[in-house]
Amino acid sequence: MRTPSRYALVVALIAVFAFFSVATTTFLTPGNLLGILVNNFALLAIVSMGMTLAIAAGGIDLSVGTSIDIASLVFVAAVAAHQNFAVALIGAVAGGLAVGAFNAVLIAALRVTPFLATLGTLFIGQSVQQLSTSGGQPIYLITGHVPAAFSFIGHGTVLGVPFTLIVVAAVVAAFAAIMGRSLFGRRVVALGAQPGVAWYSGLRVSRDTALVYLFSALACAIAGILLSCTVRAYVPLSGNAYLLNAIGATFIGTTFSPAGRPSVIGTLLGVLLLNIVANGLLLIGWNFYWQQVGTGVLIFLVLVISFGSRRLRSGAVPLNSAAS
Amino acid sequence: MPPDSVTMQVAPAADAAAPPPRRGETARKLLRAGSLLTFVAVFAVFAATAPGFLNAGNLANIVGQVAVIGVLALGMTLVVVGGGNDVVRGGIDLSLANNLGLCAAVYATVLGDGWGDGAALLATAATGLLVGAVNAVSVVLLGILPLLATLAVMNVCAGLELVLTHNTVVAASSPVLDVIAGEYPAGVPVLGYVLLGATAVLFVVLQLTPAGLRLYAVGGHREAARAAGLPVGTYVAASYLGSGLCAALASLLSVALLSGSTTGSGDMLLSVVVTALLGVVFSRRLVATIPGTLLSALFVGMLINGFQLLNVSSYWVNGVQGVLILLVVAATSTLRREAR
Repeated sequence: MRTPSRYALVVALIAVFAFFSVATTTFLTPGNLLGILVNNFALLAIVSMGMTLAIAAGGIDLSVGTSIDIASLVFVAAVAAHQNFAVALIGAVAGGLAVGAFNAVLIAALRVTPFLATLGTLFIGQSVQQLSTSGGQPIYLITGHVPAAFSFIGHGTVLGVPFTLIVVAAVVAAFAAIMGRSLFGRRVVALGAQPGVAWYSGLRVSRDTALVYLFSALACAIAGILLSCTVRAYVPLSGNAYLLNAIGATFIGTTFSPAGRPSVIGTLLGVLLLNIVANGLLLIGWNFYWQQVGTGVLIFLVLVISFGSRRLRSGAVPLNSAAS
Repeated sequence: MPPDSVTMQVAPAADAAAPPPRRGETARKLLRAGSLLTFVAVFAVFAATAPGFLNAGNLANIVGQVAVIGVLALGMTLVVVGGGNDVVRGGIDLSLANNLGLCAAVYATVLGDGWGDGAALLATAATGLLVGAVNAVSVVLLGILPLLATLAVMNVCAGLELVLTHNTVVAASSPVLDVIAGEYPAGVPVLGYVLLGATAVLFVVLQLTPAGLRLYAVGGHREAARAAGLPVGTYVAASYLGSGLCAALASLLSVALLSGSTTGSGDMLLSVVVTALLGVVFSRRLVATIPGTLLSALFVGMLINGFQLLNVSSYWVNGVQGVLILLVVAATSTLRREAR
């Protein structure tokens, strides 16, 4: 009974890959595949790592876009003001972490539910950005006037591998280590599975919860820096574009785990699935509009298969905490 | 979903236990009084400082301005009531705003193809209900988490809307739209009457009938409701259908207001979620209610309107809304903890 749910995602991934490889001449080319990885996969994968951790801890982070944007704002503003590049980087990380710290205080100290806390942060972040950019004016950097390191982060390569992908690999490895190998990761899993039990067992729930949202914000800050370097600009409110896809990828990824829990690998597969479908549908000539329909239907099908087969094994998956 | 839920009830969540009656009651009364007081205070401040705020025409306009989001938030309220107030695992309809976009596109397109108002209205209502039905089937029959099911449906709606409109404005005009956007009987825009009418109907259904009480029971404790013999699935499904219908109704208002179907309806989603959740503080038991949602929609409308009159940048509105949610929720959870 486990097989259909667990491997629905892998089968779906292989199926769409094979389909687009056959249906188009352009999909299965190194250039296109690399393009998917660098242009689409990279940022969503990093953001989704933070989301995976938050959802694994039984919460959710709706303010990923805010962390991305604030990091990008501080970073680009500092570079535009000819600050030292290291200062700009540190400022960006600090900006992203500030958003995470705000969430952490709300969720861990004031016990606001993560959904509402991060939703509030998202709204406040929108105002902050609009007010600090006179209503949402982007900050563009002139190509010739950016530091070499700036261009390198966005478009450089190391031994032929795009730097962006190296960052992705590092972030993914770090999150895999945190979630899979560390004591903290095990506590997070306990927190997500049975918050009450974790608390009664004497775990320091507040501290771990706070760390979860700081880690998520850190991942988003890194994504914000990469985004700014790639487009050489800060565009207000652009980070929200990743929110729903990150949630989607993480939950699609939960179908990969036998217990229906978020995992780093599952999330990566989810991100890949979303990216490949979007790219493939574009290549077979579907316009952007139908792409969105197609992506939605596909996510839906994966969910149907996964949840459908899970229901056959009753009692295995805690879907409804019935807390009220 | 239902058979699985037993597993989680072994341990009560640390912060979600029922407070003992007396102190909890006082705390809730305080919060509710505080929220109403805030509402009145903000109203009073605007009345004293913003020129023309207290004008009858202006007040009526506020009702009209919040009509679209208000009707959507009513739909969200239905789903939240039926699904329980745990936002991640409970009831939520993320497809509402894009459902509105799709319905608006359908209405404008059917009119544009030369059909009459009757056909267009039917098609619009059918679209809204169909989206609601897809949500209902995925949540009730297939057991997908509402957050996820409606997220996928949201994407599909957004895509279908783009397919119909090619990401452009589809102008529309019809007798029905003329009525909605037209005269102001007794000074209130027809939009406002639609919002108040929808509120009245849903208020009667949800707060006054046995069916409404049962929907609260289903959302409050699904297993207990099932044990008591309620057809749990039917009630949850009905809440999603109702929500879809609200999207269809709101789409008419939006088309009338903007003289056509426009893009970007999805941006309303978070405001709708906030409006429905903020309304909780206006209820006695801190649950989503129809009057609470109406008050919360009016409150946000009042803020936007007052800021405009005071020449405060509208960029502040989001932030104030965010701070409000956080204040409300932090106060609620602190009070709940102290009451324990």
